[in-house]
Amino acid sequence: MPAQANANVIALQLEKVRDKVPLLYERDDILLTMIQQRGDVEKISSRNLRLPLQVNPGGKAGSYNADGGDLGRGSGTAYDVAQVSPIFFRFAIEITKLVEYATTGRDRAIENAAKREVANGMKQFRSFLDKLIQTAGNGVLGTISSVSGTTFTMTVPYGAALVYPGQTIQIYDTTLTTNRNVAASVTTNVVTADPISTQQITVDNVPTGTIATDVIVHDGLSGAQPVSLYGIKYHQNNATTGTWLNLNRTTYPIQLATPRVNAGNAALTPANVRLAINKVRKSLGINHLSKLIAYMAVEQEHAWENLGITVSSIIKEGGSGNGNDLDLLFTGRKTMSGIPIKSSVNADQTRVDFLDLAHWGRAVLKDIDFYEVNGNTVFPIYGASGGLAASYIFYFDTAFQLWSDSPRSGAYIDTLARPSGY
Amino acid sequence: MSSRASEASRGVATEPKGFGAIPRAHPGERRRDSARNDTSMRSSVKIQIIRERHETPEEVARRLEAAGGQNRFGEPNYRVIWGWNRLAWIAGKFEDRDAHGDLVREVVELRLEPKYPQVNRWHVERWVPPEVYGSPREWYAKTVESVNGMSVPALGPYPERGEYEHCFTLQGRKGEFVQLTPTIVEHVARAIEWARRFPKAKQRGMLYEREAREEREYEEWAYTLMDDAVPALYGQPFVTVA
Repeated sequence: MPAQANANVIALQLEKVRDKVPLLYERDDILLTMIQQRGDVEKISSRNLRLPLQVNPGGKAGSYNADGGDLGRGSGTAYDVAQVSPIFFRFAIEITKLVEYATTGRDRAIENAAKREVANGMKQFRSFLDKLIQTAGNGVLGTISSVSGTTFTMTVPYGAALVYPGQTIQIYDTTLTTNRNVAASVTTNVVTADPISTQQITVDNVPTGTIATDVIVHDGLSGAQPVSLYGIKYHQNNATTGTWLNLNRTTYPIQLATPRVNAGNAALTPANVRLAINKVRKSLGINHLSKLIAYMAVEQEHAWENLGITVSSIIKEGGSGNGNDLDLLFTGRKTMSGIPIKSSVNADQTRVDFLDLAHWGRAVLKDIDFYEVNGNTVFPIYGASGGLAASYIFYFDTAFQLWSDSPRSGAYIDTLARPSGY
Repeated sequence: MSSRASEASRGVATEPKGFGAIPRAHPGERRRDSARNDTSMRSSVKIQIIRERHETPEEVARRLEAAGGQNRFGEPNYRVIWGWNRLAWIAGKFEDRDAHGDLVREVVELRLEPKYPQVNRWHVERWVPPEVYGSPREWYAKTVESVNGMSVPALGPYPERGEYEHCFTLQGRKGEFVQLTPTIVEHVARAIEWARRFPKAKQRGMLYEREAREEREYEEWAYTLMDDAVPALYGQPFVTVA
């Protein structure tokens, strides 16, 4: 069977590059991989990872009457345990027979195709996970503000930023109770997405009952109130109800609330930034800012540049960027009131998060690798007739969850206006 | 001055531990000599700098003013300031903690504290007009926090003459100290002024171009990483140069 032989060749090619997969995945240029796998907790079983937290200090302070007075009782430090469960993520890649014919030299073509698909697939998988890290832990990638045929106009944030063409999505009602795709027995795929100007996406199938205020979640989730990757909006949250890593926020309304600055739909100002940073300093100590980063969407980086007080990206590209020693000082040095900026096209366009990554970690159950069954990593596709289809499939999979052991170590500014032109 | 500031910034221990913050008018006026004298008498006392202050050299200030011009109050648009010298108001409930991070006390007050986290570095600042902060009414509406029934202005009073905001910290790529020179800060000021003249749309375009470039860089890096049999010079033909 030529097809099986070809699959074997592809499997051999994938084996050749298998050791490169973690390198491709872990390059620390996106927020996900800037958050380190923590040595003390990186390998977890299918049971929950337990994070002991000191929630209240111990001891009883006070004056006393030395003339026979009662000194009273003491108390100890109060601890509670946060828990994290890993989520399994996969990325499926198919190679068709056509790639074999795309170049001359059969083995070389397959080798090139395998390598290229691994590189492309990993780029896309990282992008998907980076999009998830922006979310609130429920897998919601966007909210529909209006429906016109197969075109959805999406509410900002996130607009159409967190989906990509070809992605399979699911549509839930606004309460995350009813899965409209399941109810209508249809699959929905994104056909186009414009995250820059119109914030519209077009899809191939619209399930019956889809309305404005419905939300889009990623493929693979099921049931009501699905749980996905605990992203920034899950950990950096000032809610005083609900749960956080299995702890009741009502029990610890101060300890689990991240300081928030409400910009009130106004543009970013230095005062907003100082308010947010100072909230961290007041709660953690004046000199505890050294590990913070300012994480934001490109829009808010632009808003900061619009204030005209920072070394703009334009310098690097423009006339002043002539490569002299002084320009080297600017490379990667953009800051927000002294806090290094990390921006992303996937981040919430109306928000700036100050993150102390020293308090974040990844609890990993399964490292990134090819999905494997009995030593096989490449699987044939079957056609409608039951015969082989002219393509093969392989998967990346990983299982992990994000955690933070100190929600108060960060701060965020939200409901920021976007600069004009977006 | 520069060599002294550099030396000081390396954190040479000069002040008696436990004596608290002792502001120093000039980087050269250090306590080392007297400390050495003290050391001869109390050799077991360790010396540690608690807070180190430096004034901006006049030549630097003059060059910055020439490069960046003056604001509506006749003050320079740009200035350079040492981290420990740059204090700003912070008000609210402070949770003071010990070295282990344990809570020692909570107190509501208004404090003058270093504005930037990098206290032992030089910072370039640009003047920002008061209207950027909104009206005084908006300022207090945004910044007043209610703590234990008290209203405190979290950022202090309204900056009616504007405020100097952070542009750039003089430090190396890994955060190492970079000595202050007029040339560097003049370059920073000119670069920012040069960028301010560009249309916002152009600046926006540059940001997205940078994002696209970073994506391309990942792709190129990934393909190179995957390709373990790249021919010499990527297969380009050799050319004989006479």
